[in-house]
Amino acid sequence: MSHFEKIKYKLIPVSELLLEMKNLSELMIDLAYSAALFNDRDLAEDVIELEKRVDNLAYQLEMTIMVAARDPKDAEALTGISKVASDADKISDAAADIAAIVMQNIGVHPIVSEIFEKVEERLVKAKVAAASELVGKRLCELDLASQMGMDIIAIRRDKDWIIDIKEGEQIREGDTLIARGTSTGIKEFKELVEGVQLKAEE
Amino acid sequence: MTQRKQFEEIVERFVELKDTSELMINLAYSALLLNNRDLAEEVQKLEEHVDRLHTDFELLALSSDFKKEEARGFLGLIRLGVAAEKIADAAAEMAEVVLRGIEPHPVLRLTIREAEETVMHAEVTGASPLANKTLKEAQIPEKTGMRVLAIRRGGKCIRPKPESKIEAGDTLIASGYSEGEGDLRRMAAPP
Repeated sequence: MSHFEKIKYKLIPVSELLLEMKNLSELMIDLAYSAALFNDRDLAEDVIELEKRVDNLAYQLEMTIMVAARDPKDAEALTGISKVASDADKISDAAADIAAIVMQNIGVHPIVSEIFEKVEERLVKAKVAAASELVGKRLCELDLASQMGMDIIAIRRDKDWIIDIKEGEQIREGDTLIARGTSTGIKEFKELVEGVQLKAEE
Repeated sequence: MTQRKQFEEIVERFVELKDTSELMINLAYSALLLNNRDLAEEVQKLEEHVDRLHTDFELLALSSDFKKEEARGFLGLIRLGVAAEKIADAAAEMAEVVLRGIEPHPVLRLTIREAEETVMHAEVTGASPLANKTLKEAQIPEKTGMRVLAIRRGGKCIRPKPESKIEAGDTLIASGYSEGEGDLRRMAAPP
């Protein structure tokens, strides 16, 4: 049995809750497809964890909306938001369904991954090592996109997920970076993030 | 047909299914933000298209000859399709909010994107500098401030990717600040 957290009302602006639901649900789709197509259990586990988070947010948002509605006019205006939030929740459910393909050891036919690798970029996770030259750098100082065709789409810092990454965000040791790119870029990226000395290997 | 060829065809359908469902999410959020019925109707049309695509995809996957030990791998594929369809459904429901005439709450503007004031359709003529360029080469956001939401080609609606090529006769659906609208229009169809 999975554990369900007790939800208590907190004063959080609706816009913040909805934005987080929107961002997380979109990130989850990307993570989930990559997990399923490339049989990546690690990514699938993240999706399952995020799905719980979105569920909690959905409860929070529902409560906040109920508190905010004072008259029929409010109710009409807020229904739209409630609907959008429940749809974002559905999207995150769909992502969890995709992740379940990996978690339940069903898997996707290997030829599919092979073909997919050619047409689509995939996601990769890498943990920033103390020795990495990325430590302390701001995102805007890096030019990973033109250097190796990699795009950082999220940062996991302890329990937090940073999705709306600001240009000035500083990379810290221990951060997990989630990036999108081609298979050649991914290799280079992992080496850079995990602080593997290229020259020492040669 | 070789097994590889069959798979390529199945994957091709699936990529279209996946891309279309993700395109629908973007269009649905823009439709909500701009309270734009045209975009919302576009999402509804795409939902019907996705239903057909999904059926084609499932039939194709089920009618290919696979061995007993490959059943799991096929089940995984089928489930991927079901999830993509579910995503498309959610997008269609979001667009429905607009079609039901529910006024967008100001919070939506805070949430979705502040840089959107307007949505436009622009047909690309043969004389346009955009024709035969990829979206990356065309640099539309840099030059006009407009973001391409979708490319309509014939009856199809294509999700814009950096490597997507713009062709003469395409209609670009784009959003952004109203100042950029004229610029993009002139770029798409030079006078």
